[in-house]
Amino acid sequence: MADEPHKKISRRVVVIQVMLVATLVLLGIKSFDIQILKAKIYSQRAENGYSRELTIKGERGHILDRNHNKLGTSLDAMTIIADPLHIEAPVKIARILANILEIDPKALTEKFSTEKRYAVLAEAVSPELAEEIRKLRLPGISFTKSFKRFYPNRDLAAQVIGFTGKNDIGREGLEFKYNTILAGREIAVTVRRDGVGRVLDIDKKTQDDLRGNTIVLTLDKKIQFLSETTLEQTVKDHKAKSGLALVMRPATGEILAIAHYPRFNPNNYQDFSDIPYRNRAVTDAFEPGSAMKVFTAAAALENGFTPQSIFFCENGRYRIGRYVVNDTHPHDWLSINQIITYSSNIGAVKMAETLGKQTLYNYLTRFGFGEKTLVECPGETAGTLAAPAQWSNIDTGAISFGQGVSVSAIQLICAISAIANNGRLMKPMLIKKIISGTGTDLQVFSPAPVRQAISPQVASRVKHMMRLAVQEKGTGTKASLDGYTVCGKTGTAQKVSPGQKQYAKNKYVSVFAGFAPQENPQLAILVVVDEPQKKYYGGDVAAPAFKHIMAQSFHYLSIPPTSPGSMVAESSTFVPEGENL
Amino acid sequence: MFDRRLIENFDWGFFALILVIGSCGLVILYSAVSAGWQGTGLHYLFKKQMVWMGAGLVVILGILVIDFRNLDKLNLFIYAICVGLLVSIYFFGLSGGGSRRWLSLGFATIQPSELMKISLIISLSSLYAGTVSPEGLNFRNLIKPAVLCMIPVALIVNQPDLGTGLLLLLIAGSITLFVKVEKKVVFTLGGLLVLIVPVVWFTGLKEYQKERIMTFLDPDRDPLGTGYHIIQSKIAIGSGMITGKGFLEGTQNALSFLPEQHTDFILSVLAEEWGLVGCTVLLVLYFMLLFWGLNIAYNCRNMFGSILAFGITSMIFWQIFINIGMVMGLMPVVGVPLPLISYGGSSVITNMVGFGILLNISMRNFSTA
Repeated sequence: MADEPHKKISRRVVVIQVMLVATLVLLGIKSFDIQILKAKIYSQRAENGYSRELTIKGERGHILDRNHNKLGTSLDAMTIIADPLHIEAPVKIARILANILEIDPKALTEKFSTEKRYAVLAEAVSPELAEEIRKLRLPGISFTKSFKRFYPNRDLAAQVIGFTGKNDIGREGLEFKYNTILAGREIAVTVRRDGVGRVLDIDKKTQDDLRGNTIVLTLDKKIQFLSETTLEQTVKDHKAKSGLALVMRPATGEILAIAHYPRFNPNNYQDFSDIPYRNRAVTDAFEPGSAMKVFTAAAALENGFTPQSIFFCENGRYRIGRYVVNDTHPHDWLSINQIITYSSNIGAVKMAETLGKQTLYNYLTRFGFGEKTLVECPGETAGTLAAPAQWSNIDTGAISFGQGVSVSAIQLICAISAIANNGRLMKPMLIKKIISGTGTDLQVFSPAPVRQAISPQVASRVKHMMRLAVQEKGTGTKASLDGYTVCGKTGTAQKVSPGQKQYAKNKYVSVFAGFAPQENPQLAILVVVDEPQKKYYGGDVAAPAFKHIMAQSFHYLSIPPTSPGSMVAESSTFVPEGENL
Repeated sequence: MFDRRLIENFDWGFFALILVIGSCGLVILYSAVSAGWQGTGLHYLFKKQMVWMGAGLVVILGILVIDFRNLDKLNLFIYAICVGLLVSIYFFGLSGGGSRRWLSLGFATIQPSELMKISLIISLSSLYAGTVSPEGLNFRNLIKPAVLCMIPVALIVNQPDLGTGLLLLLIAGSITLFVKVEKKVVFTLGGLLVLIVPVVWFTGLKEYQKERIMTFLDPDRDPLGTGYHIIQSKIAIGSGMITGKGFLEGTQNALSFLPEQHTDFILSVLAEEWGLVGCTVLLVLYFMLLFWGLNIAYNCRNMFGSILAFGITSMIFWQIFINIGMVMGLMPVVGVPLPLISYGGSSVITNMVGFGILLNISMRNFSTA
């Protein structure tokens, strides 16, 4: 009984075996088709699936002060990317992300609905927030490293350094001027993406190689800070509109500080739209007032006069055409030394008239007025110094005491430094060197003399006049500093009201420019206070600030006192022998 | 009590073949789960699979001890247990991926639908062994098997697990045709099937199931949606080319492009890393296994054993065919694991039970009924 069906079965088994072989062949053919005939197509598709052309950008270079303190730097920031294909619950995920990133969830939902497989959700996200999101392990969300500009000292030297705007492109200050040097290089790379849409990490070395160059400034963070603090206090004390303070090394032209007030925080510059972002020490010109007299005096000394040469000062009232020039205190005859010490306008006018307008013009231009200093800041003004042919008599007179001529703060401190530096005018230095992203020096700057503005002998005599101006009878006594031979000159200029030709009443610029010590000037300092209320003389407003900055800077730089008075004070600090137990 | 002939007749070749394929499976699985694995040591899924494989070998040995003819007597009892398990899913089942297919045993989860395959094969074999006739089966003979078949199929399709449901029908159909059916029955049922397909399409299938079949016909119709799996799988296989990218070198696998790369789509890992050569080797090994199975059916002098051996061989065949077909884009995506290769305890145990039964039949073919 078992035999009959069994035979049938055995025949069927053969049939089935044939069918099995056919199936094997079928699968083999299909496999061959996919793996051999269409292999190229599929390999290409595989490559397309996880490769993606992406532009990566290196870190922007730092901006450092002379001691390599970071003034402008970059923080790691993350860019958050989505592969919309792998976003399973767009609305929910948008809500979660929007909550963490504090943005509008609708914008994210829109990005998720794109047909593309790559959508940038947020840029410049702090690493902390990115980590928070990473921990959620959301499919289709990945991260690439990017950078966010950061100014660790906030408003310190903000107008000098400037800031970057969108895409880390420099918008103001050095960030703007040196954007191409600072900017990290960009390259197109092929990044790989995995199946759940995460972009795989970019080689760290690649990103390091793309880092931008670092700029080392001549600024000194400490001096910058103490200048800003002093300036701020001065501006506030005198309810002034604004102020500037510059500190320079006269021998080299290195700028140690350019302080502005009011300042802004470049990290969130949008919140300070009412405060000028520009470096006013370079971009804005002002009438310097009596501080200009030292250059008039220098011109006179260069032309055969001596500090003892005397001029008649008309007892305080001097008429030039329909204008009258006044002196605060009437004088009859004054030597050049006295003209500077007492800051006599009429004395300055008399010197200018004697020299002639061409000679005065020549010396003013020798000191760099009317031309750009070529300091490394954007938007520099040359000031206004008209050609002498256009000067009327009153112009010549006014220019001699610093009215009818405008200068930038950087020009003024350079010119004052030239006097301190034996008459040699230096190009202002703001950048010490440029270092590549990998740390090698690309360019090292050295002090650059512009010209010998006046002879060293004349410079020495002008210095002496400026020394007299801060002593006993001078207008700048509030700038004198115990133990140091401070030289300086006050300036109080009337301001022209905007849109008017006449000088406004009660609108002044108070200036003090000087240096110390007389014998070997270490620092030149300029303080400009715009529109102080009540007191407005440079000697009252700017001189104390000058003194304060000078004193603190000398202390910080450990510059020893030179004049005898202080030697006594210093020796008294010694502990007497025998008590030293 | 133990017949020495049993040892003499033990089918060492078949057993060795199982071990070879199982080892290949572990190697492929190692690559599939290791890609992107951040932990230390072996991946936990790999370790679990090794445990399941070991357990499977123990199961084979256990099955060898009992004469397969006992299954004939116990078939309804086993069937009742398996149906009971399927029913209990409705009350205690675990959900995952949109369906309820699993039961928790505390130390492991099992998929009763897997065990149901074996049980149905045993029951059908038992039934047909008694009713076989030279003319073939007529309609009346088919009523009982149909009922036996439809109960579990209905329960499984309802989970919903269309793949396993269809697999049961394919196995049952294969066995039935193997036993021989009257010609008019074949034609009538064939005609009925043609009529039923549209009805099922419009009423019985869930939207995602329709979508899968549509994309099977044209994967590029929705390349980022339901066609994604098929396309990525074909890309993986295609980019493997002749010799593959090398062990652990598969980028589609490593970069998580492959869906379910340790379960249903594990073949694409093999194809990507070992190329056409690897695929061919595996296919040849599989067909050696199937031929061996058919040989066991052919050589068995017991009708129940013969049908049972065929049934189990057909179960292995359909799993291989559907899985490979799916991965290569010849078949719609239905969740059917690749025997001895795919990760999954229930699948390993079910197949090992099957192999155990085949070995059992093989070593007892000397004793006629």
